[in-house]
Amino acid sequence: MGSITFKHVYKQYKGEASPSVNDFNLSVDDGEFLVLVGPSGCGKSTTLRMLAGLEDITQGEIYIDDKFINYTSPKNRDIAMVFQNYALYPNLSVYENMALGLKLRKTAKHDIELRVTRAARILEMAHLLEKKPNQLSGGQKQRVALGRAIVREPKVFLMDEPLSNLDAKLRAQTRAELIKLHSTIRTTTVYVTHDQVEAMTMGTRIVVMKDGIIQQVASPHELYNAPVNLFVAGFIGSPQMNLVKGSITRQDGVNYFVNKRLKLPIPIEHAVYLKNNDFRQRQVVLGIRPEQMTVVTGENRGNEQWTVNAVVELMELMGADTFVYVSLGDNQLIVRMEAHTEVRVGDNVQVQFNMNKSHFFDQNTGGSLRVQGDAGA
Amino acid sequence: MAWRSLRKTSLFDVLLIIGLTALALFMLLPIIFIFNHAFKPLNELFLFPPTFFVQHPTTHSFEQLFLKSGGDVVPFTRYLFNSILVTSVTLLLVIVFSSMAAYVIAKKSFPFKSLTMALILVSLMFAPETVQIPRYLIISGIGMSNTYFGHILPYLASPVAVFLLIGFISQIPNELIEAIKLDGASEAGIFRRLILPLSAPAIATISIFTFQGVWSDIETSSLYMQDETMRTLAFYVNSLLSGLHNSVAGQNIAAAAGLLIFMPNLIVFLLFQKKVLATMVHSGVK
Ligand SMILES: Nc1ncnc2c1ncn2[C@@H]1O[C@H](COP(=O)(O)OP(=O)(O)OP(=O)(O)O)[C@@H](O)[C@H]1O
Ligand SMILES: [Mg+2]
Repeated sequence: MGSITFKHVYKQYKGEASPSVNDFNLSVDDGEFLVLVGPSGCGKSTTLRMLAGLEDITQGEIYIDDKFINYTSPKNRDIAMVFQNYALYPNLSVYENMALGLKLRKTAKHDIELRVTRAARILEMAHLLEKKPNQLSGGQKQRVALGRAIVREPKVFLMDEPLSNLDAKLRAQTRAELIKLHSTIRTTTVYVTHDQVEAMTMGTRIVVMKDGIIQQVASPHELYNAPVNLFVAGFIGSPQMNLVKGSITRQDGVNYFVNKRLKLPIPIEHAVYLKNNDFRQRQVVLGIRPEQMTVVTGENRGNEQWTVNAVVELMELMGADTFVYVSLGDNQLIVRMEAHTEVRVGDNVQVQFNMNKSHFFDQNTGGSLRVQGDAGA
Repeated sequence: MAWRSLRKTSLFDVLLIIGLTALALFMLLPIIFIFNHAFKPLNELFLFPPTFFVQHPTTHSFEQLFLKSGGDVVPFTRYLFNSILVTSVTLLLVIVFSSMAAYVIAKKSFPFKSLTMALILVSLMFAPETVQIPRYLIISGIGMSNTYFGHILPYLASPVAVFLLIGFISQIPNELIEAIKLDGASEAGIFRRLILPLSAPAIATISIFTFQGVWSDIETSSLYMQDETMRTLAFYVNSLLSGLHNSVAGQNIAAAAGLLIFMPNLIVFLLFQKKVLATMVHSGVK
């Protein structure tokens, strides 16, 4: 068991002008793998540390399994945490590092031995048990930190950027192992990262934060396909979603996205929420993912109306894909294409917007018109 | 060309090593001398020209020292016992008190923290002589003259030790403390299982200078102890030496006593110095 509930939680550090965590409301189900993601300084660690009991809660309530824990000391919250720098006890061997938490909780000696050796087997580090932390590589330390958490069999795991000190290959590998581990032991996990790729690949549900405020709580699929505002749209996805400023007009029963260079008809599916939003009064931002854009080649012309002229400025080969940076007046857009393309830097090309997959945001509030429109409908 | 520059530096190194070794040996001479002197039989002391090395070593002077101490009423062993008791209790308590104080100052926030720090800093600047009289008044005022407390108490608050440990403990990452908290440690547990072991190098350093300070101290014995049975070995040796003046006959006893004062210092130094180096090398704390 290990469900978590935040109710209107605030954190304002002493001497700070604004709260670092602002009206945080969230429920985490038992056994869930929840990811907190957001740019540096958005309050992810602060949230985690309040949950762990390492930081006072300025206002609001936190519950674990319906038990009010605001004033419960960290050791009584039955939580294990994996720190970014691993925080292994340098004076103790790997075995002792993992055993200490159990020892302090007066677990029987044979039980400690059983649990530590089992964890060591799961994490494939049985041969490291006698070593001291300074004799381990970064990846091995990371394992020990993980092992120290799982032997405790706590209600909740907290992980604060546990992979950020690993190199790219090891990070990807450990990411997969963590997911596998979670699917075996099924302990509620709150995982903090500033890396959206990590968030998208690991989380079953993702919380996007900015300036201490929750922006969106959703599945990776929903975050990607229905971001609620410009921030989430720009933050999730790599390369970034293309964002173009303009407005919407209606001619002969068809909505158009227009600015100085563009006049793109908007498919009928978008009409309802646009109407609900009273779009004619607003300056909007068109958002479109790089993979929903193409450089038009000879035979495959698609929808001519969604096609505009642009100049190729830069190309990045990313292995399977090529990112083509094209300029369109003031805007630089990214088009995601296959690695093998005839396009060269400096070419005048025609790029096409797949307006079926377009997003519209209010320029002033940043909010998605679709979400606001659906809510209003 | 590489071998040439290599040979050049190694020649320089060789000269340096020879020079430094010679210097070290020279500095060692008084110690070697006192060693030899302590084991000389009486007749060798009167030889002319005087010999540096002992020819027929004997433990005669040590026996004299242990069994009967001139005409004094207090046996040598009593001084020795006093010294051992006072030094070990003081050392233990200084380590416990200093590290506890330093942990709290380095890692906790509390009212008047910077004032506390400032007071410790100020107390570092007092020359010991300036506090002798107020100390005497306090010790005799609360009736601690002629008790072991009179020896121990003046040493317990060691600003140098606290200061050294504050610097050391503040370098222990906060995450370690948080990790052990989540692992279920109480404050006492954090202190005993994390802070103390990780401060070992600093504690070793403190042990060396506290031991040497207390073991060779004669101030508490001469100021607060009027009862001869409460005085320490260092005081006894000191009075023995000053009582000797220029008489030749007591020289070997004086050397033996001096050696007994010196040896524990050396042993403690070697013991803890090794620890200082070992922990420095193996410490995983960045
Ligand atoms: N002890 C503190 N005292 C004052 N302000 C703090 C303290 N700790 C964090 N803050 C502030 O709170 C805000 C949130 O910090 P937090 O560490 O939670 O960010 P984060 O999302 O974990 O960022 P990162 O990805 O860089 O770790 C920041 O603006 C930071 O300056
Ligand atoms: Mg952080």
